[in-house]
Amino acid sequence: MHAESKQPSPPVAPGVFSTPSRGRDPVLLGGRCLECGRNFFPRPPRCPHCLGPVKEKDLGSTGRLYSYTVVRVRPPWGLPKPYGLGYVDLDHGGLRVLGLMAPGALQDLQIGMKLRLAVAELGNNLQGEPCLRPYFEPADVKPARGD
Amino acid sequence: MSEVYLAGVGMIPFGVHAERGLVDMASQAAELALQSACLYPNRVDMGFFASATAAPLFKDVTVGQNVFWQLGINQIPIFNVENACTSGSAAFYLACNAIAAGQAQVAMVVGGEKMCVPEAGLLNSGATELDTQLGLVTPASFAMRAMRHMAEFGTTAEQMAAVAVKNRHHAALNPMAQFRKPISLDEVLSSPMIADPLTRLQCCPIADGAAAVALCSKEVAKTVPGALKVLAWTYGTGDYQNPQDMARWGTDYRTCAQAYATAGLAPGEVDLIECHDAFTIGEILHYEALGLCRPGQGGKLAASGETALGGRIPVNVSGGLLSRGHPPGATGLAQIYELAVQLRNQAGERQVPGACTGLAHCMGGDKDGDSKSCTVIIISN
Repeated sequence: MHAESKQPSPPVAPGVFSTPSRGRDPVLLGGRCLECGRNFFPRPPRCPHCLGPVKEKDLGSTGRLYSYTVVRVRPPWGLPKPYGLGYVDLDHGGLRVLGLMAPGALQDLQIGMKLRLAVAELGNNLQGEPCLRPYFEPADVKPARGD
Repeated sequence: MSEVYLAGVGMIPFGVHAERGLVDMASQAAELALQSACLYPNRVDMGFFASATAAPLFKDVTVGQNVFWQLGINQIPIFNVENACTSGSAAFYLACNAIAAGQAQVAMVVGGEKMCVPEAGLLNSGATELDTQLGLVTPASFAMRAMRHMAEFGTTAEQMAAVAVKNRHHAALNPMAQFRKPISLDEVLSSPMIADPLTRLQCCPIADGAAAVALCSKEVAKTVPGALKVLAWTYGTGDYQNPQDMARWGTDYRTCAQAYATAGLAPGEVDLIECHDAFTIGEILHYEALGLCRPGQGGKLAASGETALGGRIPVNVSGGLLSRGHPPGATGLAQIYELAVQLRNQAGERQVPGACTGLAHCMGGDKDGDSKSCTVIIISN
């Protein structure tokens, strides 16, 4: 006896976010240099500044919107049309990172607004298969929990 | 280092050349450049060919050897250069180095692109990069710079649209441009939105096209009528620091300052500029990096008319990428073509009166919120 269980979708790239699970919000994963202490996203194989070893670093899940746009032409990777992109100043780690914006929140985007990370199936990967992508949603929206 | 001279330039009109192949277009531009230089093909002793899309779109590699052999040029060193939007100007940089080092007496740079095919999508910075996989396309990165510039400095949609209106006004006078019909501010603002706040008429179109230049040593230049001196050729890559300031482009400022210093000129001390107006906000950011105005004042400068033909410092009198279209391998060389025509006083209706010194500026590629390349070239008569 076997249940038709759908394989979970793979992440768009390995090691850039923690997979959401019950009761735990996803976080962005970057790197921190053990020698000079600089943070990076995504995690590089070695520190580009001092060539020191870099270990995985939890960059948290919150930040503020530094700038954004809504792309209205044919989207790549089977992303929704239109889709939003922004640079987000993370609250922890001092980094400004590129991120997708929540598909339902494009009308609400404003520079300076508080954002929180979410992860869901969004578009396809390099192989054309559905995959999980991280995106940012307004922080005042109730988080969608994995179940 | 030896002095470097521009002996000749050639290009074919940019647009849709459905019946023509890349090698055909590029070799014609090269032939025109040799004619303009009054040099026979057998004088060329080093060749550079630039293209950004031949490999991804057509799986064509080492195209340069095919192009140069169309002109009977063989046996010499030939290099194929891919550098995104600065492919042409980066190849120009290498050719200048070859002349300056005495490795070549005549070095030829040819750039071309065949892009008007169904397979062409929006340019990005490489499919395997995380940014690309998160949906970053080139118009989006400039749109986010625009949003930030508007928020920090009060730059308006109308000021950005003024760049497109101005450059199209120039293009009406340039037979090499793809789009030559004048457009109004309203038309620019009401054209379809591509990536907020950039509308379609604020984004450069793609194009098929080719351009070429012949560079030479001082000794050869003595035999070339109308040879021009290359005062500076600079090329900087990004610093990729985090966070990047998207309203003040450090890599842009740094490379422009280096070019002025090399040429011994104060910022803005040139008679005309061809800059990388792939998007209207780009030209505004480059005004600031090029020292034409204070940081944040580029929008006001665009709307003032001072950068139009007849103004204080004309920018993109060719019509720019916005009107010409942007085949990356040829774009940087088409900018040099315009400078040469202007500095030789052969630009007809769009001539900048008394132009002695011109600057060509090009940027390409996205990485970590920065540019992967910036080239600035200064030429005088």
